[in-house]
Amino acid sequence: MAGEVTPQGEGARSLHLRQLRVQWQIVTLQVLATLALVWMYLEVVSTYVVGSIDHTLLFDKLEEGLGTDLPLGDWLTGEGSDGLARFYVPMGIGLALGGSMAFLAFQTPKVQQRVRLSIIVLLIVMLAGRFVFSYAWQLISEGWSIPGNDVVRLLEWPLLMLLSLVILTFYLLPIITGTKGIWGLSRRGVAWSIGFILLFLGIHAILTFPLIRSQLGSYGEQLTSLEIIVSDPTIFGLVTAEQLSLILIACLMMVFQESAFGVIRQLEYAYRLPDSCKRDPEYVAQMDNLLNGHLRHTAIFLSLTIVATTIALGFHSVLLNWVSGITGSQWAAQVGESIELTLTYGLVISALLFLGIMALLRFVIPWQRFWGLIESSFSTRE
Amino acid sequence: MWTRKAAFTFTGGIALILIGMMISNHQMMILGLAFIAFIVVNSWVSGHGDVEVQRTLSADNLYKGDDLYVELLVTNRSRRKTQQLEVYDNVPHEMKLRSGLNQMRLNLKPGESARIRYVLRCPLRGHYSIGPVSLRYRNTFNLSIDEMYVDHHSDIIIFPQIRDVEEAFIRSRTAKMYTGATTLRTPGPGTEFYSLREYVPGDPFKNINWKAFARTGDLMINEKCRDAVTDLYIILDSRDIARIGTVLKNPLEMGTVAAASLASFFIKRRDSVSLTIYDEKLSFLPPDTGDKQYFKILSSLAGVAPRGTMPLQAVTNSLAARFSRGSPVFIISSCEGDGTVPSAVRDLVGRGHEVTVLSPSSIDFERLVSRIPRMSYEVLKLERQNRLTSLAGFGSQVIDWMPDMDLSQALLQVRGY
Repeated sequence: MAGEVTPQGEGARSLHLRQLRVQWQIVTLQVLATLALVWMYLEVVSTYVVGSIDHTLLFDKLEEGLGTDLPLGDWLTGEGSDGLARFYVPMGIGLALGGSMAFLAFQTPKVQQRVRLSIIVLLIVMLAGRFVFSYAWQLISEGWSIPGNDVVRLLEWPLLMLLSLVILTFYLLPIITGTKGIWGLSRRGVAWSIGFILLFLGIHAILTFPLIRSQLGSYGEQLTSLEIIVSDPTIFGLVTAEQLSLILIACLMMVFQESAFGVIRQLEYAYRLPDSCKRDPEYVAQMDNLLNGHLRHTAIFLSLTIVATTIALGFHSVLLNWVSGITGSQWAAQVGESIELTLTYGLVISALLFLGIMALLRFVIPWQRFWGLIESSFSTRE
Repeated sequence: MWTRKAAFTFTGGIALILIGMMISNHQMMILGLAFIAFIVVNSWVSGHGDVEVQRTLSADNLYKGDDLYVELLVTNRSRRKTQQLEVYDNVPHEMKLRSGLNQMRLNLKPGESARIRYVLRCPLRGHYSIGPVSLRYRNTFNLSIDEMYVDHHSDIIIFPQIRDVEEAFIRSRTAKMYTGATTLRTPGPGTEFYSLREYVPGDPFKNINWKAFARTGDLMINEKCRDAVTDLYIILDSRDIARIGTVLKNPLEMGTVAAASLASFFIKRRDSVSLTIYDEKLSFLPPDTGDKQYFKILSSLAGVAPRGTMPLQAVTNSLAARFSRGSPVFIISSCEGDGTVPSAVRDLVGRGHEVTVLSPSSIDFERLVSRIPRMSYEVLKLERQNRLTSLAGFGSQVIDWMPDMDLSQALLQVRGY
């Protein structure tokens, strides 16, 4: 149908990356992802690592074995601190490093090359400089000879420094790659970060498997394992504090993943738009809607996921309470203390039962309409 | 429908639960349960494509090479948000996006509308249809995806370009044969009164002479004098061979431009113009004048496609009876692959028609797409010259139209208008 068609408009705001990157929704999502990453890391570390296999213990062992102090200061490595405090400074360094890498990724290739080259030269000078100069002096003064002991000893500090940095970086890899992924808009960075955490959890799970653990001897005893899961639930009468910690790890991982990927997805879309569309107020308005929707859904649906997982894990006790309430028999109490439930089969089956019921409720309860009513009521207010 | 991400999350969740159960690891089980809970919670609310789509075009008809402005209004009819909705307006692949984009990612609030505006360049003539509108909606976390389309089409006709040929006729050395509209003393569409005749079923009521009806008691019709100089017949060769060359430059494309330009020129002079297109069949548009005829001619030319191998002789034989005596005939044909052209031209000239053959040089069009050895080219060119010379020998006026030559320039080669 022919009619009056107005050309694309131009507004004050646009979808150019320079503007979009400082838009509050994008920054909020990135901050949310960073907080989720830090919180998840701290949860993992506090549950499995601190006091068991943390880096300070490794540094202590090294210092003890080598009979010398490592070059990195205790204030930096967290040695001498207690509990999670051991990780605060290294984590700050990891965040700063990841942020710097993200910042560098947005510089021109020339600047990137110069910075990389400078770092390499600095490391070479720092690690091998003194040795090379001393050996050269020895060659000049004494003629051709193998490096003397005093010269070789000059390599000790650089090698120990390198070893300390490698160990610290290994512990901080999820933080470094995650921060680079979030702020440097790198899917790979986010994926690596999640991958490292999952890899760690997987390796830890295998090592704490009783058969393997017994083979590890005293090393195995050091590994933290959550033996008793079916203890008295203290959180809303559904889960234990340990279980909540594990739920948090899982859900924070999803918050981190969805926020970081959400930002990258929307920015990629905006980047691909032609210039005329980037300035079109219609596209700008819809980008706002998309980002607001993402923020809202991240908050609501991931909170609901935590609630659903918590209820699912405590569902067996709810079921047993019902049974005992209805029948008044001892059967529920006997089942509650049974070995099957303790060994988690019953727990998982009841949790999956709950989730199955929730999934089927989709066909009974009109969630869509319910959700629509909430949305339309909010829209009217707007 | 689940996305790959949802499938991976679900499978990963189940796998983690099973492995966790096998090695009695609670972290794995809880991680698996959380993944499945995430899927379950997200399955409660999904996006939707319950939207109303309305497309507005800047014009229903355009000339080749013009820009078409399109506006697509998308309105959320539902009482809930669309979630992540991708709208894609399907445009014919022959059209090129000049500015804007024919797609948008939306999250429309209940009752909210969004406008997608874009400009299309229409480099090829033809009958086109814009639409349907494809919709793809997914939930925020990209766990479910569904596709549908709104069957909303907008038809548009891209006419061939009209070249200004007036200059060619003004600059011709001899006086014009047709000096403008004169009243012919023959009945037909016009303004001046010609005669009264009895009503026959099918005559329009507005032509009834009511006074004569009152006087005689019989229905009488006012007949008008035909307002025209003469009938002009354009015969366009649309056989398969006319596709030689590039998509934008081939004998058929040039032929349509020539036919449209000539029709425009003569209709403006209030002549009657007839159009005959022959390919695998014959399509004949009887001579008429006015805007309606002009639109009919342009519409016919817009839909022309190269096909078939009908000889020109068959065309002239079947239409000879319909051609007005002595009227000029324009034959637009490359004259390739048709041995009947000389005899057809000879017949037309013999019947007293002023025949002009406008012949796009197909050999030169072929050179645009493939390399022809110089010797072969010279031979083919010579053959073509001989063919055109023989046509001129029958008394027709022949124009050898080169690909890089403008229409008015080509028309200057012929004398007598």
